Amino acid sequence: MANSIVSIREVVKEYHLGQTVVPALRGVNLEVERGEFLSIAGPSGSGKTTLLNLIGCVDTATRGIVEVAGKDTAKLSERALTSLRLDTIGFIFQSFNLVSVLTVFQNVEFPLLLQNRLGANERKARVMQLLEQVGLATHAKHRPNELSGGQRQRVAVARALVTEPLIVLADEPTANLDSKTGQAIIDLMRSLNQQKGTTFIFSTHDFKVMEHANAVVRLADGKVLARETPQEAVQHVLGRREAAAEASVGAP
Amino acid sequence: MKTFLLIGSVVLGGLVGLLALALGLTLLAGLIAFVVMGVRSPSKLTMLLRMAWANLLASRINLVIGGLIAGGTVVFVVLGSLVSSLNDSMARSVVGSVAGNIQIYSAKSKDDVALYGNMGGEPDLTAMTTFPAIKEALEKHPNVKTVVPMGVSGAVITPGNVVDRALERLRALYRAKQGDVVPALKDVPADELAQRIDAQKSHVRQIIKVLNADAQKAAAILADKALEPEVAQALARVSSDEFWTGFDADPFDALEFLENNIAPQVTDAQMLFLRYLGTDLDRFQDSFDRMEIIDGARVPNGQRGFLIAKFLYEEQMKLKNARRLDKINTARTLNERKIATDEELQRFVKENRSQTRDIVLQLDAIKTKTAVELLQAELGVAETDLSALLTRFFDMTDETFDRRYAFFYEKLAPLVELYRVRVGDTLTIKAFSRGGAIQSVNVKVYGTFAFKGLEKSPLAGATSLMDLMSFRDLYGYLTADKLEELKEIKQATGAKEISRDNAEAELFGGDSQATIVAEATPGIIDADKELTGAARKLRNEDLIRRVYTSEEINSGVVLNAAVVLKDPSKTARTLEELRELSDREGLGLKAVSWQQAAGLLGQIITGFSIILLLSVLVIFFVAGIVINNAMMMATMQRTAMIGTLRAIGAQRALVLGMVLLEAVTLGFVFGLGGIALGALVVQLFHAIGIPAWNDYAYFFFSGPKLRPDLSPTNLGVAIGIIFGVTYVATLVPAFIATRVSPLRAMQADT
Ligand SMILES: Nc1ncnc2c1ncn2[C@@H]1O[C@H](COP(=O)(O)OP(=O)(O)O)[C@@H](O)[C@H]1O
Ligand SMILES: [Mg+2]
Repeated sequence: MANSIVSIREVVKEYHLGQTVVPALRGVNLEVERGEFLSIAGPSGSGKTTLLNLIGCVDTATRGIVEVAGKDTAKLSERALTSLRLDTIGFIFQSFNLVSVLTVFQNVEFPLLLQNRLGANERKARVMQLLEQVGLATHAKHRPNELSGGQRQRVAVARALVTEPLIVLADEPTANLDSKTGQAIIDLMRSLNQQKGTTFIFSTHDFKVMEHANAVVRLADGKVLARETPQEAVQHVLGRREAAAEASVGAP
Repeated sequence: MKTFLLIGSVVLGGLVGLLALALGLTLLAGLIAFVVMGVRSPSKLTMLLRMAWANLLASRINLVIGGLIAGGTVVFVVLGSLVSSLNDSMARSVVGSVAGNIQIYSAKSKDDVALYGNMGGEPDLTAMTTFPAIKEALEKHPNVKTVVPMGVSGAVITPGNVVDRALERLRALYRAKQGDVVPALKDVPADELAQRIDAQKSHVRQIIKVLNADAQKAAAILADKALEPEVAQALARVSSDEFWTGFDADPFDALEFLENNIAPQVTDAQMLFLRYLGTDLDRFQDSFDRMEIIDGARVPNGQRGFLIAKFLYEEQMKLKNARRLDKINTARTLNERKIATDEELQRFVKENRSQTRDIVLQLDAIKTKTAVELLQAELGVAETDLSALLTRFFDMTDETFDRRYAFFYEKLAPLVELYRVRVGDTLTIKAFSRGGAIQSVNVKVYGTFAFKGLEKSPLAGATSLMDLMSFRDLYGYLTADKLEELKEIKQATGAKEISRDNAEAELFGGDSQATIVAEATPGIIDADKELTGAARKLRNEDLIRRVYTSEEINSGVVLNAAVVLKDPSKTARTLEELRELSDREGLGLKAVSWQQAAGLLGQIITGFSIILLLSVLVIFFVAGIVINNAMMMATMQRTAMIGTLRAIGAQRALVLGMVLLEAVTLGFVFGLGGIALGALVVQLFHAIGIPAWNDYAYFFFSGPKLRPDLSPTNLGVAIGIIFGVTYVATLVPAFIATRVSPLRAMQADT
């Protein structure tokens, strides 16, 4: 427990749509260790995004405790949460979310400027090093709209990692990419995870992507069903599909 | 009016001040939030600027906002330079015509000086009795070039009608024939006198014929319009041949009959208000560079004399038909209007056609014959009636106008008197004091004048110029001549010593505030007519020729005076110093700037500026609202981006700073662009000049063309206002941007 970088205990998250209350998470418990490459799996609507938002400090739980990097997020101010995001969390988005008017270099540099800790030269070296690692050093001066989807997501990966965060969160990072490019992005993330020991938590419903994780947290209806190995998870998903297939064959 | 404007400008000034204060405070607050909380490093600022700059051209909404800012700025710069140029040119005209830089008058005055008159007539000014001392004291000030004494008053004149004039001439001729001394006819031989008498008589008969025709026409149309029996009888009598064959038996008796019974039937004698400024004409003509003699010549140094304002001369004293032709001509040549399409010009033509009587009445038999022949040839018709010919002649179209206009001035004009008062005539101006005594002064009209830039100003063009001596006579104050007169009265009556005040009372029958009536007697002065008693000796001709010294002109009362400065840029300071000087030396003066002294005209200038200022404010208010809306839209379009920045660690203050900086950059770039464009437009206007499209424009432009100049203050104010408006308009959208949740990043679809 003491080693957990993310600690979620009995978390409930409810959305309010007018009079009706939509429960998105219903008593979730989860511990994430440093250096994990964790996948959150589950069908659409199972609460993956909601869980990642709570870990990413962009939203707060209705009940229960969310601790990130040892801090209880419920006790932090808006400003402090923002600072926490800046310094300890990197984000990779499903839709890449690059700033279209800035170049690749400027997009990656942005979090460093917000931190305002490095001088111009160090900043430049850091940005170029990361662009090197994601294989886009030659594209530093390009604009996002001059790049392919895979390239854009690699820029986003570089941006997420440029501040050397403890945790990188990625909500369905491959959903907008074809499967081959998606594989390449997951490979890139995995190699960075292994090189730097950065904790990665990513959600997906694609079991080919799940396979790369060292553990899979399977969600359904806002509850954690299991924390298991990718093989078990894939088995489970496939098994359920076979069962579904048999059921449909057995029907008249 | 004055107080309303005063309150208006104070309220407006207060509002502008408050707005500026609010602006300054929010600007400061924004800057502090921006620098201290959001942007703590120059590199961050650079980055935000980079984003702002990149956003500038990337978003269509930004281009719309930019266009608005640029457009608003162009309008502001152009309007602003127009207003200040208008003000400057008006200032030059007013200062250089009558006002001088500063006006002084007695502190005891009930009203303030109003050089061009006020809504409620002439201001009530108390006369300054020690003008020479005042002048001397003021001229010691290093910045005072000269002090010109003045006074404004007015009289209603009724220039004699055609019958009066014709009868007056006839009377003069008979008197000359009889052996009386008539100066104008001194050297005319006897046989020519007889000829002239015949011609003049036939002219009067001609007039009577026209009157008869008129009366019959009126009777035919409306029964109750028929003449009263006595008038009809009188008309019948003077139409008869017996009256004219018996004329020479007792010409003066016959003349009197005509004067009493026929002259009143001619109603062309319009009353005319003559407003005049009495001044030291020598000094005036030398000090006011805007004054221009148009007809005739300036009044000889030291002499009495009268100069008629050209505007008034043309508008009121010119033969109406000629005046209308002039107006049509100007409209056609300067403003490219067409009779065929212009209702006003068509009306002029119609009036000219129907109102030929003014001309017909003026012509005697010989001239009528000449005119008929000329018109027959010109129009190629056999018609013999002059009136009918003139009606035909004045029925002008765009095709015939230019030719007939030239014909009118070349051929017809020499036969008639174009103006009711001519240069060289002597005006007899009569003043009735409250006590009932008549004060009368004869002044010779030396010419007409106008002030450059105010040629078309009905206000400035309503005031004629008169020498100070005549002015004092009429206004009811002692002059050198009057003192002499007083001495005579004293000798004649053997009276006690007459004090100055008593003397005035004796002369004017009490209160010196006079109502003045004037009458013009063109060409002929009846020296004996008005003078009675002890004043008889002082013949008007003597007065007209008398040359006064500068001391004589100055010593005596004046109502106000123009102070002309060496360096007009120091007017405000000199004004203060002159006030102090007056207090210190006990001169009892009030000193005001030319703007204040210009009265109604000054108010018009201020009103005009206020209207333009208000329209500029409205423009920017509207622009501010549109910018606000557009910025709101721009923010809504970018919530995903803003959410992303928030998610990856940007604080709210940074978002605020980003949006504001973007707006300010927008304002800067497009504002500067607008200023450059505006400056270009102003330079262009300056180069070609904006032509005055009508008389009002001419008046406001102070001339035929306005050449606006760029002023640095104007540009500075423009920049300030643009920044302010853009900034304020962006505050709300910027605040809303800070409320965008980082969750928006997760929902992004782009
Ligand atoms: N902003 C929201 N308002 C209301 N309901 C929401 C909102 N976001 C998610 N939900 C609901 O919460 C549940 C979990 O959603 P989500 O976390 O997006 O699931 P997943 O990412 O696994 O598809 C769903 O039933 C969804 O409809
Ligand atoms: Mg989701």
